[in-house]
Amino acid sequence: MSSSRNNVVNVFDAFRIDLDEHNDRRERLIKSSRDITNLSKKVIFLLHRVMTTDDVSTADKDDRNARAAAQGREKLKEIQKLFAAVGAEVQGDRFWRYQRNVSPGLQEYIEALSFTHYLETGKLISYDEVQQSLTGELGESYFPLTTEDYLLGLSDLTGELMRYAISSISQRGGRMKANEVCTFVRNCKSDFEVFTPHFRELRKKQSVTSSSLEKIEDAAYAIAVRASEYDVPPEMLDDIIVRSVTSEDGGSRNRRGYDDGGYDHDY
Amino acid sequence: MDAENVERINQLLDQDVELREKIKDQVTEFDKKTRTMTGLLNRIHSTPPDALPALLDSVRPTLESCRDVTAAIAALVPPNQFWRWKEMWSNSLRSAVFTAALIHYLQTGGLLGLSETSEILGIQAEWQDRFTLAIEDYLHGLITLVNELSRLAVNSVTLGNFEQPIKISVFVKDIFAGFSMLNLKNDTLRRRYDSLKYDIKKIEEVVYDVSLRKLAPSSKVDVAGAV
Repeated sequence: MSSSRNNVVNVFDAFRIDLDEHNDRRERLIKSSRDITNLSKKVIFLLHRVMTTDDVSTADKDDRNARAAAQGREKLKEIQKLFAAVGAEVQGDRFWRYQRNVSPGLQEYIEALSFTHYLETGKLISYDEVQQSLTGELGESYFPLTTEDYLLGLSDLTGELMRYAISSISQRGGRMKANEVCTFVRNCKSDFEVFTPHFRELRKKQSVTSSSLEKIEDAAYAIAVRASEYDVPPEMLDDIIVRSVTSEDGGSRNRRGYDDGGYDHDY
Repeated sequence: MDAENVERINQLLDQDVELREKIKDQVTEFDKKTRTMTGLLNRIHSTPPDALPALLDSVRPTLESCRDVTAAIAALVPPNQFWRWKEMWSNSLRSAVFTAALIHYLQTGGLLGLSETSEILGIQAEWQDRFTLAIEDYLHGLITLVNELSRLAVNSVTLGNFEQPIKISVFVKDIFAGFSMLNLKNDTLRRRYDSLKYDIKKIEEVVYDVSLRKLAPSSKVDVAGAV
């Protein structure tokens, strides 16, 4: 082997070590991101479950929200531990190298976190609050939160709120709640609209938000029309609706419920 | 969303927009330079060996002026954000790597290393998190070099330079041996690496033609050493 060949081979050997390290780290982060996505979905399912299956007759609405959120918070802590580990992998200039690999899980987490936050406060979680949740005990951020991940995570929240509104209609006080959610999602949609010029992905998600909003509006419309047919107090109407909506709710869930599988925006 | 939060996000987005514009201006400059250089270097295919040094000298001022651009970009990029923005200039940078490596090869017959390339482009070690020559970009530049040399092998024969294809053949095979040591992912680098074998084949054919007709000094011919 010639000396020039040897030189080249030595140089490329160093490249190989570097590139292999990079690829391995990338794989690890993709895996973490996937784990985070799965755990976040579990949080979201948990929240839906507590909100809809709790004993309706005894539970006070606010109390139920608080209980769901508290359980969600516990689960979110597990995810935050995973983010601490991710943070250790993406110190310094590495974060932006792997940002795209981390982002799917991060967005799913923001969706779960913002849902929990909504149940607690009735508000949209702020950018700083999300960044704060990704901060260690010493106040160090695991990594910088991008505006894109923040907005795209929130955009997914509207879909969950739609499910939440529709499935709670059959519950006592659910119609009021559906109207609240309807207003909230409508505000979200117009809030996000301002930022669409910056993010292509957000423009796509806006149309999903629009269709979620429309579903809630249709449900609110149906309630208004039916309510007008009965000149009875709201509590009695609750009873009527519990009886009459149960079958329809089941149908609508199959049609528009948990059908996205969640993997549409993961990679 | 409360007003404060909207304000916060807008502020972050505005910063990004402003920075992007500024980097874009520099990249436009960078692009002009690399186009000028590749334009000039295209003449190697029609320049006889004795006129080559003058041609290479004419490219050098532009190559050296690339330092202004790399310094300007390094000054713009915030700490730790190299990988966030690098896509913006990577084409220009790869092109500059190619130019530097081609000039070096034509002068010395050897391979310009990554750190030497960085040095020529004025890239400083302390810019590491803001502007650096990533291995990937360096390798892209080398592949462009091989592409160009396969053309040069053909054209130097036309110019009556029968030794050049043989030198190129040895050089390119060294580079190919280097690339084959890497575990490349399925990305553009991998695809471009896969296409190198066509360049090598083309060069081999030229070497074969030249040696078969005993046009080249026989001591340097090594057709049997084909990869």
